[in-house]
Amino acid sequence: MTDLFTPAAHWQRLPDRYVTVRRLGALTYNLISAAIAAVAVGFLLDWRWAGALAVAGLGWTGWRVIRAGRWVRTFGYAERDEDLLITHGLWNNRLTAIPYGRMLSVNVESGPIDRAWGLARVELVTASVQSAGHIPGLQQEDAAALRDRLIATGEAQALPL
Amino acid sequence: MTADPDPVGFLPPDAPATDDVTPPTPTPMKLTERPHPLTPFIRGWVVLLALVISIGREFLPNGEERTLPPLEIILLGVAALALAAGVAGYISWRFTRFVIDADELRIDTGAIFRRSMRVAFDKVQAIDVVQPFAARIFGLAELQIDVGSQERSKLRYLSLGRAYALRDYLLTRARGYQAEAATTTSSVSVLTDLHETDEVLVQVPPQTLVLAAVTSHEFWLIVLGGVLFVGVGLAVGQWWVLLAAGIPTISGLFGFVSRRVTGQFNYTLSRREHGLRISRGLTSLTSQSLPARRIQAAQLSQSPVWRLLGLYRIDIEVIGWGAVTDNEDASGVSTILLPAGTFEQVRVALAAIWPRADFTTVELSPAPQRARWLHPFSGPFLRWGHDQYLVVAQHGWLVRRWQLVPHTRVQSVRITQGLLSRRLGLADLEFHTAGMHIAAHASGVDAGVVLERQTELMALLHLHGPDVSEPFPATNPDLSEAQAAIATPDSDKSGLEGERRGQAGPDALRADQAEATISSTE
Repeated sequence: MTDLFTPAAHWQRLPDRYVTVRRLGALTYNLISAAIAAVAVGFLLDWRWAGALAVAGLGWTGWRVIRAGRWVRTFGYAERDEDLLITHGLWNNRLTAIPYGRMLSVNVESGPIDRAWGLARVELVTASVQSAGHIPGLQQEDAAALRDRLIATGEAQALPL
Repeated sequence: MTADPDPVGFLPPDAPATDDVTPPTPTPMKLTERPHPLTPFIRGWVVLLALVISIGREFLPNGEERTLPPLEIILLGVAALALAAGVAGYISWRFTRFVIDADELRIDTGAIFRRSMRVAFDKVQAIDVVQPFAARIFGLAELQIDVGSQERSKLRYLSLGRAYALRDYLLTRARGYQAEAATTTSSVSVLTDLHETDEVLVQVPPQTLVLAAVTSHEFWLIVLGGVLFVGVGLAVGQWWVLLAAGIPTISGLFGFVSRRVTGQFNYTLSRREHGLRISRGLTSLTSQSLPARRIQAAQLSQSPVWRLLGLYRIDIEVIGWGAVTDNEDASGVSTILLPAGTFEQVRVALAAIWPRADFTTVELSPAPQRARWLHPFSGPFLRWGHDQYLVVAQHGWLVRRWQLVPHTRVQSVRITQGLLSRRLGLADLEFHTAGMHIAAHASGVDAGVVLERQTELMALLHLHGPDVSEPFPATNPDLSEAQAAIATPDSDKSGLEGERRGQAGPDALRADQAEATISSTE
């Protein structure tokens, strides 16, 4: 399929396991942050506002849990000869192209939930803070291999800053 | 330079952490220098002046009632603070020494916590000579050394001629030449920093600055604010508003114009063999060198009235220089490449930083009619385009803006499309650079055009060509081959290139003078 956000390339998708991880992550982080916000508002302002906030938080969490599967399926990345493409988004589609030569470093991170499922997240760092080259939910071995591949190509194709 | 054998012994014989580059043979005592002995007085004076101005402002009527402590206490406090600043200045002067010679650039500072900083010559990015008003009266100047880190090291104060001589020496060394150590002080004009050998590229006369200031949109915004306030006050029959709003508005207008004019007075963009330089200022004179390689993006802007006058302003974004300057009066470096100038001056200034690119030949395509649903005001003025060196995006309804980014500075490209723009068949493009303040983007672009051009755009990101800030060499068959290889499929582009190479006549000379490996300092 070739369209604006998936130009012809060898696209890789995220493993299905990541859907579960994303759902769990949405549940924990969203619920906890919503609870904290609600309690804070309750103490500072009014418990009615806190209730409204809690309902909104619940709704947002539910929405994210339901949409997690579709979101993960929109995510794709492609290693081309000279750049890495990352695409994702349900409502706001985006396609980011990062030339290997511009990469400063590649990080592999995994949080507690990620680790429990054997997943990790790869982050590409360029000189620009807006680049935001994140690839979540890769299997740990794949993530490490991708990092090493990216670094090797990056060194070979280094561009001046 | 005075031969100071360091009688007091403040100078460590050899700073161990920084001196591992030189062989450990016992070197004869270095010729070290101290800043000018007037330094502590000027530091105290600067503090005094700042206090007097800031307190004096409180005495001006500004429509608010404020109770101030009695005058004696204020004067006493001011005197004490100025004295303290002077004493602190004396101590820091007493303990500051520097060496700038053929072997090293070292600055030792600090009374209690000694600090010895040594800079590798080729890491020097830019050197600025700044003369605040108080220093200028005594013919002194501050030398700021930019090595690309957040903090720039400052040497204050030196005599003006010495500062210029050191600046020239360091900039020459930064480019890899083994120059003679700067022991002579060149004779310098007090008003500008110009040599007979300098090539003046752009000069902005003060009358243009005044004209540009009073016709800028910022000026009219202040006027509008005052008029609205007075209008509302008169409508409800409160006559005192006329005074309460009128005085701050008028003093605000004066402040605005004088800021724009004094800070940029005698603005001169010139080129010497070590690179580009901007010198400007009426009360305080700043002479800053422009590291062309570190310029990430440029933004042209034009206020509504400027369109009739044909004036433009250029702001640039340089890594490590922080936010785009909005206070023209602040002494020190500013990111204003051109405070106000004609189209021809814009061309010259941009050609000076990016000799290879010519924004006037970039074809801009307007956003489609349907983009007005999303951008009701700026829709008719949205344009974007690119050639092999630059991406240009035009924005703005009243104040027109053009963002220019060379492909070689783009870190990544992003295409985005929201729900609405998907319906309309539009997309937005973002060009990410290492800077954060001029966020180059093109809005409301026809999605079909993006699809057509995206491969080309992404390919332009990783050209292994010469940098956009390097001038064209006279004749270089390799280069023309490389250009042919990277030329876009459009046939009209090749004609454009030939034209551009033809234009590069004067650049060719300079390219011969420069070495092939121009370091990152220009």
